[in-house]
Amino acid sequence: MNIEKIRADFPVLQKKVDGKQFSYFDSACTTLKPRQVLDAMNAYYTEYTGCAGRSVHKFARRTEEEFAKARSKAAKFINAPPSEIIWTKNTTEAINLVAHGLKFNPGDRIITTNLEHSSGLLPWQAVAEKGAVLDFVLCSKEGEFNPEDFKKKLGRKTRLVSAIHSSNVTATTSPLKEIAKIAHDAGALVLADCAQSVPHFPIDVKSLGIDFLAFSGHKMLGPTGIGCLYGREDLLKKLNPMLLGGETIKDATLQAHVLEDLPDRLEAGIQNYAGAIGLGAAVDYLSGIGMQDIEDYEKNISKALVEGLLAIPQVSLLGPKDFKKRGSLASFSVKGMEPHDIALMLNDRNFFLRSGMHCAYPIHKFLGLPKGSVRASLYLYNSADEVKLFIENLSQIIKTFS
Amino acid sequence: MVLCLVALLVFAVLSIWSAKYRVLAKEAFGCVAKMVTFKPCDVRLETKIKAKVASKLMIVPALARFFYKYFKALSWAFTIAFFASLAYSAYSIYNLLVFGTCTPGEPCAITGFAGLCILVIEQYAAYAIIAVMIIAVAYFLLKKQKKEK
Ligand SMILES: Cc1ncc(COP(=O)(O)O)c(C=O)c1O
Repeated sequence: MNIEKIRADFPVLQKKVDGKQFSYFDSACTTLKPRQVLDAMNAYYTEYTGCAGRSVHKFARRTEEEFAKARSKAAKFINAPPSEIIWTKNTTEAINLVAHGLKFNPGDRIITTNLEHSSGLLPWQAVAEKGAVLDFVLCSKEGEFNPEDFKKKLGRKTRLVSAIHSSNVTATTSPLKEIAKIAHDAGALVLADCAQSVPHFPIDVKSLGIDFLAFSGHKMLGPTGIGCLYGREDLLKKLNPMLLGGETIKDATLQAHVLEDLPDRLEAGIQNYAGAIGLGAAVDYLSGIGMQDIEDYEKNISKALVEGLLAIPQVSLLGPKDFKKRGSLASFSVKGMEPHDIALMLNDRNFFLRSGMHCAYPIHKFLGLPKGSVRASLYLYNSADEVKLFIENLSQIIKTFS
Repeated sequence: MVLCLVALLVFAVLSIWSAKYRVLAKEAFGCVAKMVTFKPCDVRLETKIKAKVASKLMIVPALARFFYKYFKALSWAFTIAFFASLAYSAYSIYNLLVFGTCTPGEPCAITGFAGLCILVIEQYAAYAIIAVMIIAVAYFLLKKQKKEK
């Protein structure tokens, strides 16, 4: 992987902030966007603006083609057929769509975990308020799951297991394949929150054997406001649409309507065409480099990050200490210092990190960190030199204040 | 939390000249608004001030550490001193306008010019602040010397 060539593709990386170089270590929140993505979106607005599936003119037809191509690209990226991809705003909307769309009876059980992002927890809490029973599998203090714990929780009445794939806090990846097998053996469906996995390593829904998968475009070089729900076709057909309106119906009278086929019935109103086309360009960009190469490269820079953090005595790293068991982010706390203070001091030195709860309250509470943690999250455009400089600066700050 | 009040006043005045301070004044206003309506106060502004000042003080690590560790106490002390001096100044201006002198009963050195008059009134306070600063700097220098030995 040619890091210099990659960095040259990102317009924002050519800029300086307050006259100095900066390091963007907040890709788990949202990633930077390459020129190729911006150009593809711009082309929709400057060359062929139109509505897909409605008007018959040339611009509309071109929009329809590009929109369909984007769906195929997103589908291929996770080894799914295009008919099983539904456009959403983001991961959050994708999970809510399933939570709202599946019919749960009072007493039906939903199993999730204490490692979930709010997006993977709150929708199920809402379902539980209507009578379903919510139960949890707890991870270890390092953020790892034992598939046997899922087995113990699953029962005859379990309808769904919803689990995070890669954690945005502990950087661990759940044994999704085993979880899916256990859940299916018990007759339950499986939804995976792949917001932090799809952008970083190859994902194959068929080999994982899951029923639903959610991810966001903006965490994988794409624009904000676009995401995907993958769902098995027979299950998507059974989902109750969360929104109704233009494009979701075949016919309507004053009293009733007939729902459209998939995917239209679940995609109400004019869609985010530019967003989908941008996500398609992001998929092209990542596939062009190769997801396996991206994963290998990230492992390398994460190794330097983890080793650097572990060498600072006041730092407590969240998640496993073995970098091989981790993704490309590292959350940590520092003895005697508050997470926001550290992030702000690093911000002063042009290192952009996230601090706080990272929308994952239960896991921080479980780990005894009521004020959260600081998180450095890397992506393909970060270099080993940046990581080295970051560790030096962090050490200096900690030496002074901790 | 208390620092929001000071920040609001200081940034509001500075924002007359600079747009940069207008943003901070707005943020401080939001914080004060939350404070007076008893909503949970947004701690971000104070956290930002704390981190920014502590960062800048890192050239004298001991001072930075002291500031970081005792930020809460320092911000209270600063806020009280700020409002006390504000009240004192207002009182002096009132005296100057009503009695023609800042300290009725005592001769005022320069009664015709409010700004200078306030300076005279506050000179004892200024001496006290300078003395505290000298003691603090001496303390840190001594501590540093001790550490180097
Ligand atoms: C693991 C995980 N799930 C879900 C989300 C929510 O993503 P979005 O805000 O794009 O819906 C995030 C975002 O940080 C995340 O890290």
